[in-house]
Order: sequence, then structure tokens, then C-alpha cells
Amino acid sequence: MNGPSDFIFYAAAALTVGSAILVATLPNIIYAAVALLFAFAGVAGLYVFLSADFLAATQVLVYVGGILVLILFAVFLSNRLADVKISNPGHFHLPAAAVCLVLFGVLSYTAVSTPFAVKTAVYLPTTADIGEMLMTRYLLPFEVASVLLLAALIGAALLSRPERGTPEKADMEEGRG
Amino acid sequence: MTPIAMDTGALVRGLYCILPEMVVIGTAILVLLADLLLPEEGKKRLCHLSVAGVAAAILSALWLGPGKIEGFSGMIVHDGMGLFFTLTILAAALLTLMMATGYSEWEGTQKGEFYALILLSTSGMLFMAEGTDLMTVFLGLETLSIPIYCLVGFHRGRMRSLEGAMKYFLLGAFSSGFFLYGIALMYAAAGTTRIPVIASMMRDARLYGNPVFLAGIGLLLVGFAFKVSLVPFHMWTPDAYEGAPTLVTAFMGAAVKAAAFAALLRVVLLTFPAILPAMSGVLWVLAALTMTVGNFSALLQNNMKRMLAYSSIAHAGYILVGLTAGGVAGGQAVLFYVLVYAFMNLGAFGVIMLVAQREDDGYDIDNFAGIGFRYPVLGGLLSLFLVSLAGIPPTAGFVGKFYLFGAAVRSGYVGLAVLGVLNSAVSVYYYLRPVVSMYMAPAPEGIPVPRPPRSAFSFALCASAAAVLLLGVMPASALEFAERSVLSLLM
Amino acid sequence: MVSGVLDYLWLVPAFPLLGVILNGVLALIAERPFLLKEAGLPPPGGSHGHPSRGNSHATEAPGSHGSGASGPHSAPVYRNVVAFLAPGAVGASFVVALLCVLSLAARPPEGRTFVQILFPWIQSGSFLAPVGFQLDPLSSVMALVVTGVGFLIHVYSVGYMSHERAFARYFVYLNLFMFAMLMLVLANNYLLMFVGWEGVGLCSYLLIGYWYEKQSASDAGKKAFIVNRIGDFGFLLGVFLIFWTFGSVSFTDVFARIPLLRDSGVLTAGMATAITLLLFLGATGKSAQIPLYVWLPDAMEGPTPVSALIHAATMVTAGVYMVARSSALFLLSPDAMSVVAVIGAATAIFSATIGICQTDIKRVLAYSTVSQLGYMFLACGVGAFAAGIFHLMTHAFFKALLFLGSGSVIHALSGEQDMRKMGGVRRYLPVTFVTMFAATLAISGIPGLSGFFSKDEILWQSFSSPHGSPALWFVGALAAGITAFYMFRLVFLTFYGGSRMDPEVEKHVHESPWTMTVPLSILAVLSVAGGWVGIPASLGGDNRFEEWLAPVFRSVAAAGAHGAATGAHPSVSLEFGLMGISVGVALAGIGIAYFLYRLRTSKPAEIARRVPALYDLVYHKYYVDEIYEWAVVRRVVDGSVWLWQMFDALFIDGIVNGIADGVRSAGDRVRRLQAGIVGGYAFSLLAGAVLLVGYILYRSMVP
Repeated sequence: MNGPSDFIFYAAAALTVGSAILVATLPNIIYAAVALLFAFAGVAGLYVFLSADFLAATQVLVYVGGILVLILFAVFLSNRLADVKISNPGHFHLPAAAVCLVLFGVLSYTAVSTPFAVKTAVYLPTTADIGEMLMTRYLLPFEVASVLLLAALIGAALLSRPERGTPEKADMEEGRG
Repeated sequence: MTPIAMDTGALVRGLYCILPEMVVIGTAILVLLADLLLPEEGKKRLCHLSVAGVAAAILSALWLGPGKIEGFSGMIVHDGMGLFFTLTILAAALLTLMMATGYSEWEGTQKGEFYALILLSTSGMLFMAEGTDLMTVFLGLETLSIPIYCLVGFHRGRMRSLEGAMKYFLLGAFSSGFFLYGIALMYAAAGTTRIPVIASMMRDARLYGNPVFLAGIGLLLVGFAFKVSLVPFHMWTPDAYEGAPTLVTAFMGAAVKAAAFAALLRVVLLTFPAILPAMSGVLWVLAALTMTVGNFSALLQNNMKRMLAYSSIAHAGYILVGLTAGGVAGGQAVLFYVLVYAFMNLGAFGVIMLVAQREDDGYDIDNFAGIGFRYPVLGGLLSLFLVSLAGIPPTAGFVGKFYLFGAAVRSGYVGLAVLGVLNSAVSVYYYLRPVVSMYMAPAPEGIPVPRPPRSAFSFALCASAAAVLLLGVMPASALEFAERSVLSLLM
Repeated sequence: MVSGVLDYLWLVPAFPLLGVILNGVLALIAERPFLLKEAGLPPPGGSHGHPSRGNSHATEAPGSHGSGASGPHSAPVYRNVVAFLAPGAVGASFVVALLCVLSLAARPPEGRTFVQILFPWIQSGSFLAPVGFQLDPLSSVMALVVTGVGFLIHVYSVGYMSHERAFARYFVYLNLFMFAMLMLVLANNYLLMFVGWEGVGLCSYLLIGYWYEKQSASDAGKKAFIVNRIGDFGFLLGVFLIFWTFGSVSFTDVFARIPLLRDSGVLTAGMATAITLLLFLGATGKSAQIPLYVWLPDAMEGPTPVSALIHAATMVTAGVYMVARSSALFLLSPDAMSVVAVIGAATAIFSATIGICQTDIKRVLAYSTVSQLGYMFLACGVGAFAAGIFHLMTHAFFKALLFLGSGSVIHALSGEQDMRKMGGVRRYLPVTFVTMFAATLAISGIPGLSGFFSKDEILWQSFSSPHGSPALWFVGALAAGITAFYMFRLVFLTFYGGSRMDPEVEKHVHESPWTMTVPLSILAVLSVAGGWVGIPASLGGDNRFEEWLAPVFRSVAAAGAHGAATGAHPSVSLEFGLMGISVGVALAGIGIAYFLYRLRTSKPAEIARRVPALYDLVYHKYYVDEIYEWAVVRRVVDGSVWLWQMFDALFIDGIVNGIADGVRSAGDRVRRLQAGIVGGYAFSLLAGAVLLVGYILYRSMVP
């Protein structure tokens, strides 16, 4: 499985990492959002390589199709954001980059020095297994996640509902997503 | 396609095991529904409903008893330690909600969402405290965090509230990333997320020296360290504590900390002995840093909420001393201290809530000048709680600290114990400042009149005070309970 | 029948606790209206008024009673109840203590240890710290002194504090103090002792700051509490180490296990030194020894009966008691013994010299107390624990008397404490004068009085004991001379000579009421005769006091490494010689005082002019407070700021100002938020994570 598949893997990885760097550094938030789209797409490609077909599809459907569109809507609708410079001004880039590089070093060392038990990939559909797992073994996390979503829903409703006499609140709320 | 085999018995047992959680979640939903039906002036019924729900949850937890019940194919377990933390968290929630009877009226938090969020957050804490699978722990963590983010920002008209919420949210999301990454790495190395299985794999050296696993544990620890605000992961704490509605601050200090320490304790006690040298070094440094930075920063604060925020950082450091010590003695000390801290912290916040007239500058220490003799009961209660936080006998804070540092000495961490005792000597200075101000500073001309407490509020304060005193004078049974809980976990 | 009385030992601390509760209820009910401004009453005593009303607080508060609108005649009924309840509770516990001690004395000497366990306080696994009391010869001396002197001072307080508005509150604190002190003294384990230890510290803090409107009073209270925390830190660590080494914290267990553990090598000399030095650090805090003595002189801001009870007779001696209680441990470590002896001797002479130049009557007595406590530690350090406790007892009598007498003077002089504004008071206050003179003779070591026997025993032991040395004796004898000098300076300045009083003050001078003079007289009798229980054999006595304590310290000596501390008695003539020298030194001190303050009254000022630098140094108490302020307090504050900035403000430009500013415009704030604070926080989080993960990997992967 060398040759073209390797090339595609590296292309997907490069797409993911490169777009992610752009998301972090682009000064214009709309450009950053578009770059995020490519990062998500790259991750979906990596899932395919891991023979996680369901995850890849979900990634495309939910993140690229849903969440990113929401983000773009949010950006367009909150006109005030256009005035505010979103990215960090200069004084953190260097130390942050240094720390990130160290973290990168630590993690790559870990990845390289670990004797992973390598399994040959078996390309079989996973959807049914995932569904069964969610209904049996992972039933509790699945249900707790629904409580979590309920809480998030209430919180979102609470924070976005207008309240009398709080003029400057709009400045703050976008940060909360 | 074969149908999924359904094991009804297991399902029922699982549901039975999460009975307290279900009661709390059910109450939250009831509160939301009742919010729709109740007229504006009847909103205080919501608070009563929440109190009743939490009380019912406490009863159901007691009904389950300390016996070990596993549920949902080992995702969650109700055991002695789970019961201990469940009761601690629920007691904190109960006291918080009782104080809400008054606070909500003054500060405009008399809303269905407020109570629902507190209850949902409580359920998340319970899942976290009883989870035996890293998945459950993580979901519990998120379920407790997201409502707290919203609660911190509940006062949308106050800049500090929004600021605190935003900082907490952004950094919380960041730290959740670490947490999840840690779990992923551990899963990559171990092939499972079940804590007991991982522990047994570590004991028979299958995971020994596996770098991915070690990095995973480290990142997991970062996530925990953020939630219990250990230095240097504590930056959000003062802002979030100061900004949050005071009631939420009290709840955060008492309950969130208890839940996070519960899960951390489960992970640490079961897995860390296998990688002791590295882990004890890390915990040692974290504990020392946290105590020192917390206490010394608290020295400089003039705002009670901010001061108590730094004090809560310092207390996380003290508790970490017990974790560093490890073993039965350390675990027992941690359990007991978490319980004690919940009471004294809630009590202290409860009193300052009454004294401060308004959020923000109402909590300046100068505002407490001269109230000691004018309102002897309030002054006495606040002094009691602060004295207990400072660890002076015969309060529970002293017994708790004695156990923490005693465990450290017994495990050979004499240096850490020395540092801890020295730190608590320093802490007396800032705990004393409000007391000095209350009793020994001239009262200003405009007499601050504390808010008249509601009867439930008074009851909550008195219950906290009674707990602080009782656990100080007769801590035997609570300590025994804590010891049995730790033993049940380690067996 | 014999242990029948002893079974009621728990009543000894229980009575004061009952007093706390009853008086507390009265204080809550009856004194609340006084404190409400709405009541609109002018403060009767003035001392409790609000400073904004312009009441003068330049002098100690009882002074203002002269101008007070209402006297004791218009006292509300509840005051009479309090005045009966508070001393009554202490008196009752004195009676119970006395009965218990008598029934203990009826036992054979070796059986004189009675332990009463009330309930288990902290219990887990092998660890047990009960709430339990232990009455043995040592704790019985302490219990009798505490309750006896305490009772007298309570009675005195009824008169002294009669003009105070917060009358009941004062007695609540005082009773609470008695309770805590009795817990300390009667506890049967170190941990419960620590509870009492902290309790007395808290009460001392409350009582020093009783006149809290006075800034100096509340500062002094705080200082006392914080300095004591340093000592408590040592004590607590000592207890941890004891627990670690012995597996128990109760006295009987710990001391019983010493021989076994020493032989098995668990208890090394190093460990014993560590334990005892930590305990001694605690003692230096509570008993005001170098380097932690600085709080005691400031503690004189409290009411004078408090100074007498807490800061002279009882609480400050807790350190001596604790060292004597732990004598078995101290004897294991010759190094620790030397440290105790040297610190004690150094404190004795150091604070005695400060006492020479003080002009405030109470401060002279405060430094004298520090100095006398040094004597007690000197005794303990040379292994003469019985002599230390003996001096503790006689000192409780005469120093309480001196304080109460000075209180009587201050009371009579409308709150004047400066000796330069006294003089000739003898004529107005005959009882006070006579009793105080007796106490002064006693403290100066005039033969026949109580102080002579105890002090001489200490000096003799510091010379002859195996732990002693001539140098220690010399320092002690010199300090005795200085003590005699400054005490007679005090008497001459206060009671003799012409009046230097404010004419306005002089009009009101009067002898104190009987509630104050009767305790003075009783204490005077004790100051004179209290030493007769310990007349040494060389003077024809039988030293019954040492015999009484012998079971405690003999078993100690048996357990200790060095055998009996009281070795073969050197020659009696040597003892007489030394005794003569110390009496001579004391008489010389008195003579110099007489010369300087009666014959040539211009001489002192002249001397001060002659050696200005030295005078300045001593007058400013060797600038120790200033040095501490600069070397410790400043450093701690700077360090805190540094730590805080390091971790919380490192990345944020101007956050220190930002917090102080409080309000700022919303838009500005948002920009500041987005501009980097969160980024800074995240940065520290990330950096911490990298360090943490890196360290774990490094430690686990690199062998």
C-alpha cells in the first residue's frame, strides 16, 4: 500500500496542519473560518485512512456541513466583530511558538519511542458496531451526553435571550460560542 | 442484522446505581417545566422544589448505602467512596440552594434556568465522582462545567461576571482539550478507558514505561489540575470567582472541587503507585507551588471574594498534600478535608453574601468594618468559618489539616508537611484581616445593614457552623467513614 | 472514695465553659443595645465609644472613667449577675481542682497520675487522640496556680472594669481564656494541649484588642497572634514528629515508649533534638523568648488584669510548662538542653536591660516578665525542671500582684501609665503601695520571700547541675541584679518623691475599691510566703515542692539518658557562697536604684546624656522591632508581591493597577480582554502542561 496512498495520506495531513496554522494566525476571522473548513476536511481524510468510515462521514456532515456553517453565520450576523481585531497582538507569538514547539517535540518523541502494537487495517463498515456499542456498553456516556446537551441548550438560551437594561452585553457574548 | 441482546437485569441495576443522579436530573427537568407554569411572583417555589429534589437525592443515596453496586458494564460504580463524595456534593448543593432562597431575591437569579443549571451541574459532579471509566469522568466533567460557565456569567449586566465567565469558558475548553487528549493517549496505549483495568495493567507492568501512556497521564493530570485550580493552571480562578454571582462562587468552591478531587483521587489512588517516583515528584511540586502561591497572593487581596478565591487555590494545595502522601491515610485525609472544606467555604461565602450590599465593591474588606459587635451572630459565624479555614482548633479545619499533614509525614514527605504548616501559618494573616476589620476597626458612619436572611438561609448557615464545629470536636465517625471508603476502593 | 473526687476532674474546665455560655448569652442580650448607635446613649465609660465621637484614647481607657457620666451605681442588673457568675465559675473550678489535688496527694507518690478520658476526639486506625485530662503533680501545680490566681484576677476585674460598657463581653473572653488554659494544662496528650494552646492565643488576641478602637491595641493583638503562629508552627511540627516517632501523642504513652525506642535505635539523638527544638520554638512564641518575644511588650495594650492573668501569670508560662512536661524528651538531647538554657539566660539578661530605660510602668513589668520567663527556661535547660516550675509558681504570685498593683495605680491616676508623671503616690494608695512593695522585694530576691527561694534554686542549679556552667550562673546573677535595680526604680519613681502628676489627675486620686485591694492583699501574702514550700535543705527546709514534683521528674530522670539531674550535692558552703553573692548583687541593684532615683535624681538624665548612643540603643529596645520589620515583614510583603506577579500578573501589563482601578469603560475592558489576558492565561496553562508532561516522561524514561 505504498506509493499513491502514502502520498494522499501526507497530503491530507499537510492540509490539516497547514489549515490549522492558518486558522490560528489569519487576522481576518472569515478567512480563518474558511481555513477551518479545510482543516476539518483534512481530518475527515485521515479518518478514512484509519478505516473509520462512519467517523469520516460524520466529520464531513456535522463539522463541515453543520458547525462550520453555523460559525460563518455567526460571523456574518455579528456585525460588530468586523471592527474588533480578533487575533492576538504581537507580544505572545514568540514564547507561544516556542512552547508549542517544545510540546511538539515532547509529543513526537513519545509517538516515535512508543512500541505500538501495529494492526493491519481491515476495511469493514463500522456503523453497525458503533451503533450497538452506543446502545450497550457505552449506554451511560451516551445518555450523559444528552444531559450535557440539555445543559448546554439551557445555557445558550439563557445567555442569548435579551435582558432588559443590559446595553453592553452584546460585546461579550460571541466569545462564548 | 442480529438484534442487540437486551439485558434487562443489568439495565435495572445500572439505573438503580445512578438513582441519586436521576433524581437530580429529574428535578432539573421539573424545575424547567414548573418555570413555565408558575407566575412571576411564585418563582420562589422553584427554589423550594430544587431543595426538595436534592434532599430526595440525598435520601436515595443513603438508601443505596455504602455497598458496591456496579452499573452500565462498569462505566459507573456506587461504592463507599462514591457515597462519600455523593453526600458531600449533594450537601453542598443543598446548602447552596437553601441560601438561594435569599440570594436569588436580592440579586435577580430567581429563574428556572438558574436552578436547572445548578442541578444539572450537580448531576455532572455525581457522574464524575462515581465514574470508573474515563469516558464517564470526562462527560461528567463537561456536564458539570458547561452549566457553571453559564452560571458564572449569569449576571449579564455585570462586566466582571461576563469577564469571568468568558475567561473560564475559554480556558476550560482549552483544558478539556488536554483532558480528552490525555484520555485518547491512554486509550491508545492501554486499549481501554476503564480505570480499574488500566490500574491492573499498570500493576503487572504491561504499561510500565510506555511513553504514550505516560504522556496521556500527564495531560489528564493537567485537565484535573485546571479544574481544581492548581498553580500554574489556576489563572482563571480569581476572575471567575470574583465575577460569578456569590452563590455560584460558593457552589464552585465547595462542590466542583469535591467532584474533581473525587475523580482525581480515584485515578491517583488506583494508578499512580505504579509510576510513583515521577508522579510523587509532580504532585509534590504542584502541591508546594499551589499552597505557596495561593496563600501569598491571598495576602494582597482587598476583596473578600478574590481573597477567598486565592484561599481556595491554597486549599487545593493542602488537599494535594494528602494526595501526594497517597495510601489509605492520604486518601482518608483528602476525603475528610473535602467534606470540611465544603462546609467552611459555603459558610464563609454565605455570611459575606449577607453582609455585602451588592456585588463587586460590596465585598471589599472595608465594608466589614465594625460589624462584629453590631451583628454578633453574623460576626461570630464568619469568624468561626475563617478560623476553621485558617486551621485553628477546635474547628474542623484543624482536624482536616492535621490529617493531611500527618499523612504526609507518615509517608515520609516531611518537607511538604513543613511547607504546609508554614503556609497555614501565613494564611492566618489574611483570614484574620476580615476578623480584625469586623471587631477592631471603627464602624463607618453609614451603618451597613446586612440583608435579613430567610429562614432557610439561616438554617443553612447554622448547619454549616454546626458541621464545622462538630467535625472539629467529634470527627471520629466521619473519619471512620472516610477510611472505610478509601479501603473499599483499594480492596 | 479517693478517686471519687478525681472523677469530677472534668468539672475544672467545665465551670469556666459554663461561665462563657451564660455570660455570652447575657452579653448577646444585654449589651447589644449599647452597641447600636441608634440607642444614642453617650458611652458611659468612654472607652467603648466610637472614635468619631472624639473620645480621647490617648491613655489607657479606665482613665476616662473620671469624666464618665454614670458610675457603677447606675449599673444595670445584668452586670451584677456577670460580676457574680464569672468569678464564681473560676472559683468553683479552683475548689474542685483543690479537692482533686488533695485526693491525689492522699495517694502514694508513685501512683499520683490520674487520667480521665472523656471521649475519643480523633481516632483512626492506631491513632488515638482523646479528649482526656491528666492530673499529676505537675499539672496539679499548674491547675491550682491557674485557677487560684485566675480567680483573684477575676475578682479584681470586677472592680477594674466596672466602668466598661462591654462588661459581659470582657468576662466572656476571660472565662473562655480560663477554659482554654485549663485544657492546655490538664490535657493528657499533645494534640489536645495544642487545642488549649491555640485557644489561649485566640483569647489573648481578643483581650489585647479589647479596646479595639485604639489602633495600637488592635495592631498589638494582631502582632501577638501572628508572632505566636510562628511558634505554633514549630509546636505542631513537633507534634507531628512525635506522632511519627512514637505512634502516639498521649503523654503517658510517649514517655513510656522512650526507653524501648531509644534502645531499638528508632529514637536517635538527632530525632530527639529535632522534636525538642521544634517544641521549644513553640515555647519561645508563647512564652516570649528570643527571638519571638516582641509581641509581649505590645500586648500591654490590653486591660491590666489581662496583662496580669494572661501575660504574666498563666498563658506565657505555658511554654515552660510544656518544656517541663516534655522533660523526658529534652533530657535525651543535650544539644536542645543547651539551646534552652542559653536562650533562657540570654532572654533574661537582654530584656532586663531593656527594662532599665522604659518609662511606661506596664512595659517595665512586661520586660521583667520576659526576663523572668528566661529564668524559668534557664532552669529547664539545666535540667532543674522542678526549680523552673517553682519559679513559675512564685512568679505567678508576685508578677500578678505587680501588674494588679500597677493597674491600681493606673486606675487611680485616671489612666496615666508614664512613670515620669507619677511620684509620691504612696500617700494616696497605702494598700497598693504596701502590697506592691512586698512583690518588688520578692522579685528582687530578698531572702525570706518567695522569689528568693525559687530564683536562688535556679541560680544554684545553673551552676551545679551537670548541664549548667558558671557562665550561665553569672548571667543569671547579673540579670538578678538588674532586675532588682529596675524594679526599685519603678517603685521609687511611682510611689516616692514629689508628685509629678497632672493637677487635674491628682484631684481624683483615690484608693481602689475592695474588689481590687483584697486580691492584692491575698497575692501579697502569697508573694511573701508562697516560697516557703520550697525551702532548700541547705537552709534547713525540706523542699517539699521538689518532693511533690519528684514523681514526674524522677520517672523522667529514670527514662532519660543522663540519670538523675540532681547529682551528688556539691559542698554546702559553695551553695551558701553563691547565695550570698546573688543576694549581694540584688542589694547592690537596689542600692544603685536608691542612689539614682532618691538621692541624686538628676543623675539618670546625666548618664543618658553622657552615653547617648548606648542610651538610645537601650531606650529603643535595641531596635529589634525595626529590624524585624525590615528583615522579615518587608521581605514577606515583597515576596508575596513577587510571587503574585510572577504567577498572576506576569503576562498582563498593568493588572495590578487594573484591579485597583475597579471601574473602567466597558469597551476598554473588552479590548483588554481580547488583547491578551486570556492568551497569557492559556500560555501559562500550556507551559505548565509541557513542563508536567516532560517531567513525567523524563523521570520515567531516563533511569
